[in-house]
Amino acid sequence: MIAPFFAVVKKELASVIRDRTIVISILIQLFIASFSSALLLGMLSLYDSDTIMKFGGAGIKIGVVASPDTELASLMSERGLTVLQFATLKEAQTAFFNNEVSAVVDTPLDENGITQIKLYLPELDAVSSLIRMVIQEPLKQYENYLRGQKGIEVRYTDMKGKPSTSYEFVYSVLIPMLMFFPAFVSGSMSVDSLTEEVENKTLQTLLSTPLSINGMVSAKILASVILSFVQCVAWIALLQMNGIVIQNTGWILCLAAIVAGITSTAAMLGAVMLQDRERSQFIYSLLLLAGAGISTILNSSPITALSRLAIGDAYTSGWNVAVFAVFLATLYIVLMKMSRCLLV
Amino acid sequence: MNQILVIAWREVTRLRKRFGGGASPLAVVALMAVLGLSAYYLRDTVSLGSGLYRVGVSGDVPAISDSRFAVMEVDVVQGQTMLEQKVIDVFIDSSQVYSRGDDKSQFAVRALKQYMEKQELIRVGNSFPDADAFPLRVGLNYLGAAEQAAAQNEAGPTSSITKPEEVIIPSLTPPPAPFTQVLVALLYIMPITFISIFFTSSFMDEKMNRRLTILLSAPVTPFQIIFGKMLPYAIFALVSTALIAALTKTNILLALAIFAPTTLFIFAIYLMVPLFYRTFKDTTFIAMLVTTLTTAYLVFPAMFTNVNDLAYISPLALAVKMYRNEPFGWREYLFPSLPMAAIFGLAMFAGTRLLNEEFLMGYKPLTRKLSDAIYLMMAHSKPYIAVPLWSLITIPVVYMTQIVFLAFATNLPVGLILGFTLFASALVEEVVKTVGIVALVEHGAVKSWREIVGLAFLSALGFLVGEKLLLLVSISMVSQAQVSGALFGAGLLLFIPLIAHFVFSTIITLLRTKLKFPYWLALGIGTVVHFFYNVYVLRGGM
Repeated sequence: MIAPFFAVVKKELASVIRDRTIVISILIQLFIASFSSALLLGMLSLYDSDTIMKFGGAGIKIGVVASPDTELASLMSERGLTVLQFATLKEAQTAFFNNEVSAVVDTPLDENGITQIKLYLPELDAVSSLIRMVIQEPLKQYENYLRGQKGIEVRYTDMKGKPSTSYEFVYSVLIPMLMFFPAFVSGSMSVDSLTEEVENKTLQTLLSTPLSINGMVSAKILASVILSFVQCVAWIALLQMNGIVIQNTGWILCLAAIVAGITSTAAMLGAVMLQDRERSQFIYSLLLLAGAGISTILNSSPITALSRLAIGDAYTSGWNVAVFAVFLATLYIVLMKMSRCLLV
Repeated sequence: MNQILVIAWREVTRLRKRFGGGASPLAVVALMAVLGLSAYYLRDTVSLGSGLYRVGVSGDVPAISDSRFAVMEVDVVQGQTMLEQKVIDVFIDSSQVYSRGDDKSQFAVRALKQYMEKQELIRVGNSFPDADAFPLRVGLNYLGAAEQAAAQNEAGPTSSITKPEEVIIPSLTPPPAPFTQVLVALLYIMPITFISIFFTSSFMDEKMNRRLTILLSAPVTPFQIIFGKMLPYAIFALVSTALIAALTKTNILLALAIFAPTTLFIFAIYLMVPLFYRTFKDTTFIAMLVTTLTTAYLVFPAMFTNVNDLAYISPLALAVKMYRNEPFGWREYLFPSLPMAAIFGLAMFAGTRLLNEEFLMGYKPLTRKLSDAIYLMMAHSKPYIAVPLWSLITIPVVYMTQIVFLAFATNLPVGLILGFTLFASALVEEVVKTVGIVALVEHGAVKSWREIVGLAFLSALGFLVGEKLLLLVSISMVSQAQVSGALFGAGLLLFIPLIAHFVFSTIITLLRTKLKFPYWLALGIGTVVHFFYNVYVLRGGM
């Protein structure tokens, strides 16, 4: 019983390795990981005012027309922008056209209790959106200052912190993506491997061996899970070599393997019932999306659990992983009951 | 035409049979309902990640309903100790915020700051009159060439502002970033991808059942078969585009115009999948690769709409403009659409050449299959026409690949980015230029030294012409600058690259075909030479 079981596992793994297509899957993951971090890097350097200020803030010169109210000018210098004073708007605009300043802020005017400012920006989209990005924070602070003068207190204005986008990206996108993408692939692989046997009519031959139908299905699932697990181990090692701190690696790998088990079992369940690739793959991808949605609504998403394990959250432990193991066991029992569909 | 419609109708019947009856339509409807429901619940929580930070609150603190924060009620002493013990990352006591000095806590503070700012604005806006709650108006004016001329001629302050002034309230108007519009634009791509996956599986199904063989022996051309099978799916895709446009209340015709080339492009790529696969697993992996690459190619540039003109290589950038009600011209429209349409044309051509039983049914290594495919595409005419033509028409593919490599490279350490990009571009160019000749030689269509060297020259010529044409088109489209004159004015400048390209492709083809080097090794040697040439040119050596 055991020997034929492992023979099927071995055959599945060997065929994947022989086809070399697994390389494509690994390339995809590498591609997604590097592409999304390139995207993040690009967006940070273009859309995040902190990053812009850090790398070139002082180079941005803003012309200010002199006025008794110097609050905005000093807020801008505090932010790190270079502020140049001009006596009149005309002078400031001349400086603008001579490329001495990149933007001009006119004197604040009071109109029925509302302060009006005119901001002159270059016509070029790229530069003007950059300036709007960096000037946003001083303008908001100035707005709060004006509110303060009217006696309105705005709370939580002195919070600073550090830009958190990269941190959030690594722990809530990059690591879950690298851990769960192999699981997603292994589900697809299970569908392929079963429906191929059905459509090539090799299933009956396989069933005439001393292996039960449940044994055959389980062997295929195990092969997919092994493949996905190996990839996860490699990714964790690579991430740690890149200096990303990951806590609870044992539990994380355990969770990744369980999720791969869940996707493969669910995919296999669909394939057992539908028995053709076209519909099974379609149902499987819909199931994946629905599963992700439902688990988020139920507040027990494996993605959240994984992120929390990785950052070393005080309230997340092996018990959160056990929940998914229970779910996997249930799903597996259902599959074992349903696999008889293949015999008719 | 009639034949095409017959095949198209047969395809619709096939689909109906497959998805009619049984439990599957019900299951699909139920799943769709669940998807819709979860999308509805999740619509407000598009922020990155969930449950990353733990926040302790005590006293009068606005409710924190952002998926990134897990909030718990604590008393003051408890809160302080939990913060010390790193159980929570931030502790808020009424309007006072406590944090630790370490990174995690500081990140949490920043994330919380963004959220709290918004909440405070809502509170202030609700409890005070508008003029007091939002006491600042900023008028945005844009100064361009027209204003500059006016300022120089007239003595008074600038009077003629061409664009109308745009008035914003800073705290309520975030600076323009196209994320939301890109997400909406991505909505269009999802159904198109799903539909094209069905198109692929239909082809595979026919191939599996050997019905394609029967069809091929019928008096219809491969073009009619492909086009007929594609027609119903293309119509589905366009209908779904129109539906999304209608649901998001935008101009339906404009949306169709923007997404039609994209649809063709995605179909073109998915047409390649059934031609090349050998087992089901192949299909899954190839389809996944294709989906990732196309999505990345479409999304990545669009994220930089209005910041960089290169954003227009993706049609999603046009969709972003559409959703912002900003106009765009023909140049901006054709810039992404033409390469996509060109790739569709190339794929259709490849499809008609490859749709024969021998090619479809053979189980060979993928590389072998690719070589056969290239040979089949070239064998239609004399090598000296086919080779330069091949170099010329694969330029859009080269161009797209190089952009993808550039994105890859941005992850590398700064010092390596340029080197990697140069090397990767050289590699792609050399593959395109030599692969056709190598395939021809391996199939025995070309034999002598003279022929090979001659073809290498023609290939280099075709490539160079295509490259310069593309450069000209893209430059004139994006910046309308007078660079084109400079590019083509100096004849000598074109002569040297031609010789260089010729030398590289000769090295590779001769190493491979005459000295029997493995292709990867020959390619590597040629690429290295090409790379050093590129570096030399960049250093200002020429």
